[in-house]
Formats: sequence, C-alpha cells, structure tokens
Amino acid sequence: MRDCSTLVKKVIEGDWKEIANLTQEEIESGTKPDEIILQLQAGMEAVGEKYSSGEYFLPDMMKSARCMNIAFEVLKPLVENSSVGSLGKVVIGTVKADMHDIGKNIVSGFLKGVGFEVIDLGSDVSEDRFAEEVIRHQPDIVGLSSLLTTTMHEIGVVIKKLEEKGLRSRVKVIAGGAPVTEKFTRSMGADAYAADGGQAVKVCKQLVQRS
Amino acid sequence: MEITQKQRILDVVAGKKVDKLPFGARIDVWYNYHVAHDSLPAKYKGWSQTDIIAHQGAAAQKRFFSICKEEYHDMEVVKRKEPPYEITEFITPLGTCSISLLWSLAEGPWLAYEHEKLFKSQKDYPIVKYILDHTVPVFNEAYAKEREDMGERGVVMTGTGLWGPSQRVMREIMGYELFYNEYMDRPEKIDELMDSMMNLERKKLDIAIKSDIEIINLCANWSDDIHTPVFKQYFTPWFREANEKIHAAGKFSMAHTDGEMRRLIPLFTETLIDVAEAVTPAPQTKCAMTEFRRMGDKVTFWGGIPSILFEPYVSNKEFDDHVKGLFKEMKPGYRFIVGMGDNLTVGADIDRVGRVVELIEKYGKLPIE
Repeated sequence: MRDCSTLVKKVIEGDWKEIANLTQEEIESGTKPDEIILQLQAGMEAVGEKYSSGEYFLPDMMKSARCMNIAFEVLKPLVENSSVGSLGKVVIGTVKADMHDIGKNIVSGFLKGVGFEVIDLGSDVSEDRFAEEVIRHQPDIVGLSSLLTTTMHEIGVVIKKLEEKGLRSRVKVIAGGAPVTEKFTRSMGADAYAADGGQAVKVCKQLVQRS
Repeated sequence: MEITQKQRILDVVAGKKVDKLPFGARIDVWYNYHVAHDSLPAKYKGWSQTDIIAHQGAAAQKRFFSICKEEYHDMEVVKRKEPPYEITEFITPLGTCSISLLWSLAEGPWLAYEHEKLFKSQKDYPIVKYILDHTVPVFNEAYAKEREDMGERGVVMTGTGLWGPSQRVMREIMGYELFYNEYMDRPEKIDELMDSMMNLERKKLDIAIKSDIEIINLCANWSDDIHTPVFKQYFTPWFREANEKIHAAGKFSMAHTDGEMRRLIPLFTETLIDVAEAVTPAPQTKCAMTEFRRMGDKVTFWGGIPSILFEPYVSNKEFDDHVKGLFKEMKPGYRFIVGMGDNLTVGADIDRVGRVVELIEKYGKLPIE
C-alpha cells in the first residue's frame, strides 16, 4: 500500500484547506482510491483516540471530519463501485424529549469517519421511530444518546420496544450520554456503553465482530 | 440561636467558618415531574418544593431564570404555539429570525430547549446583532417574590441569565457545532456578535449588582465542549470584568459547573468566580472530587453528589459510602457546600435528601478530621 502520510497527517491536524488538492495529488500519483480511504479512516481513528484521551476537543474533531468530507467529495466519482466495504450499519439518535445532539453528532462523526454507515435520526426520537428505522434499515447497531437525567430512562423504553417488536436479537444496542454510566446502561438492557466518540468507535467495532 | 440555612451557605461563600457542612438541595426536576403526574409521595401532596426540602432538613436551592427581563425595541416580536413547540419571530428592519423552543415542565426540566436556534446561517448575522443591540434589560419583579417566599430557608439561584454572554452565543443562539464552524470560517463576524452580547450583558450585570442578590450566577453547564482557547478568548475576560464589579459591590459570583470539567478546572481560578456550583464528580463524570479542588482554596465548592446516585438502582450502602467518602475528600470542609450534580432525578427517592442531612450530623461537623 502506498503511503498517504501527508494527507493523513493533515486529517489528524484538521488542516482542511489543502485537503482537496492533496487528495487529487494522491489520485494522480497512482494511489488507488480504496487505499486512500483506508488510510484516511485510520487517521480518523487516531483523532478518536486523541479525543478520548483529552488531547482533542469538539472543534478539533469537527476540523478532521471536515477534512474527511472534503476528501470523500474528491474521491466520490472514483469509488462508486468501491471494494472498501462498510464496517457495519448504525442507526443512531437522541431519545425522546431530549433535544441535545452534540454527543450523538460526535459519535456519528467518528463512526462515519472510520467506515461505518450511519443513519442519524436526530434528536427527540421516539421508541416507535427507532423500531421503524430498525425495520427499514436493518442496522447492526442501534446507538442511543441521552443527556438528561429526565430522559435517560428512555434508553430502556427503546430497548423494550425493540423487544416487543421482535427486533432486539437482530441488533446490538450501545448507549451513552452525560448522566449515563456503564452500570445504568446495563440495567436498561443495552449491550454496551461508550463514554465518548473515540470509545464508541472501539466498542462498535467489537460489537460488529461479535455479531 | 442556630444560624439559618441561608446564612450558613452565605457564610461559607464569604470564607467564614461554620459549625457543620451546609446542604443546599435542588429538586425541581423531580418536583415538576411528580406534580404534573400527580405522583408526589402521599406525605408531600400539595406541598411546595421549598417546603419539601425544609421538611427533609436541607437548605433549598431554587433555580430562577434571571433577575432581568428583556424588552425588545424597534422590532416586532410575534409568539405562536405549535405544540409541543413555542415559536418566537423577531421581525426587524434587517429581516426576520425565529427560534423554536420545546418546554414541557411535565417532564421535569425547568427551562426550554431550543428545537431550532435563532441563528441558522451567515445571512442571520446582521439580524441577530440588531436584535441584541435593540434589547433592553429591566429588573424582573418576579425575582423579589421568589426571594421573599424563600426567606431564610435557602437560596434563590439566579443572576443575569442562565448562560454567560459568550456561552449564550455559542449554545443558545447558534449551537456549539454551528458556532465552531463559524468560528473557523468567519471569526470576525463571531467577534461582532460577541461584542453586542457583552454590551447587553453589562447592562444586565448593573441591574443584578444594584439588586439585593448576594450570589450572582454568571454562567451554566460548563463542560469540555467549551474549547479551552475559546474559553480563554471570550469567557475569561468577561468573567474577570464582571467579578471586579461584583466583588467591589461586596457580592459573590457563581458558575454552574456540572459537566465534564477536567480541561476547564485549570482555568477556573483565572475567572475570579467564587463558587463552583453543581460540581459533579465520578461516577457521573470522569473527574474525582480531589481534581476539582485544584481550582484553588479560595473557591467554594457546591455539589459533590451526582444525580444518578439518587436513582433506585444505586443501593443505600453505595449512596452512603459516596457521601461519607465525599466528606473525607473535602476535609477540613470549610469551603464546601454539599449539593447535587445537579438535581434530584425523576425516579429518585426523596428521602435520600434527608439521609444526606443525617450523614452531615454524623460525619459533617467542621472541621472534618
């Protein structure tokens, strides 16, 4: 595999201004688009680790995500029939009556960046909507976010709805959010918990490997 | 005669030594939900939240949005309901911006959430700036009634508004993500908006300082979502300016610091803020209480019991162990007010408020050895 280290370094640094040109240069120098994508995804995983460790903040992650989006725009016409497969499909949303979306957006950004297909349902998502979207998209993972003590029990409500509809065994459920702990997540019946976007990448990779 | 609940809190904030740890309890989320669902415990049916807290033996900490109200000049403000949302349109000579709020006391929260923010794209800069430049704050008479109702049973927690001025731009007007994108792409426009907001906030601060409030809330919901360079650029200078005025008037300031705080803790001292309120340690955040103490020995810490510990899935023993451990971590305890990070949850057992009071009587006499 050819080394795209300059491009990847720019992604990790969040330096988006030269990304389009650098991506074009990589293509013109003969690097296969699939290889570029794999290395960009590795770069985004490194960003996730820096975020989890406290080195990076939300805007750092946003800059890197912007780099990825620019690079993918350049690569898009070349990868319509790409052999780079998705790591898995994730349906994600913030639970009912909760308007907060930063945490959920961070997780979405990281998961997309490393190669998951993400269907983002937004915030204030009812348990019925989660169930409908699971039927429609047939994801590997359902991601539930809650930022309020008043809404965190909705995690359990969604899981119960998936059980009622006979959908629970088809998906793994991961949950997180400010008041949510691993112990609470387990008590609600979820499969996994992630404290932040970087950790969510690791946990989701493990979940799709296990399933 | 024993000092009142309110006085014990004010004495600690002023750096005076008191007999035992004060406990300022906040239960509005729990209370609003159970009143709306007619599910208050039988013994408290028809009671006010302050009466319930007093019955449990704690000092009340009652949130009130702001000591100021905003009046809008030279624009038309139209409100309409589209349940569950409340939409407000600001029609100015430069164009119209609208905000959509979701506000349901029945589910517990005491404040509205922005379903759609006021600022949606760069075309809104001149309109939002016009709105801010033509907003005039006036004293909110409802505060006086809240204060009278509270009496010596606790503290009405309020100030110039919920958010600090820069945080209001970031969080309420734009939302963090759009803010950071605009900060990357159009920093000079962000500066202009911040200047207008600061000017409005200065007028509000003057009103707060002239009032009888003792502790002025300057900011809320701190967390690591606030980028430290942004904090240094916009937050710290304002807090220093505000606190010089507040301290000159013999008053104190407070920030509601209930999020992930590890990266903001080292910056707290520079703000000159007196009280870090709703301090929320592990297991609800990644920070131990000892990390918060790095804010310095001139800061009063208010909090320490994460909300989730009031949930029934946490055993009584686990709850007691956390509270007893907390007292030890904060020894000798003179700069500490026991409190929640940041509220009593809907599913909580109200009698755990009283349990904290019992534990203070056993283990919270000062100084803690």
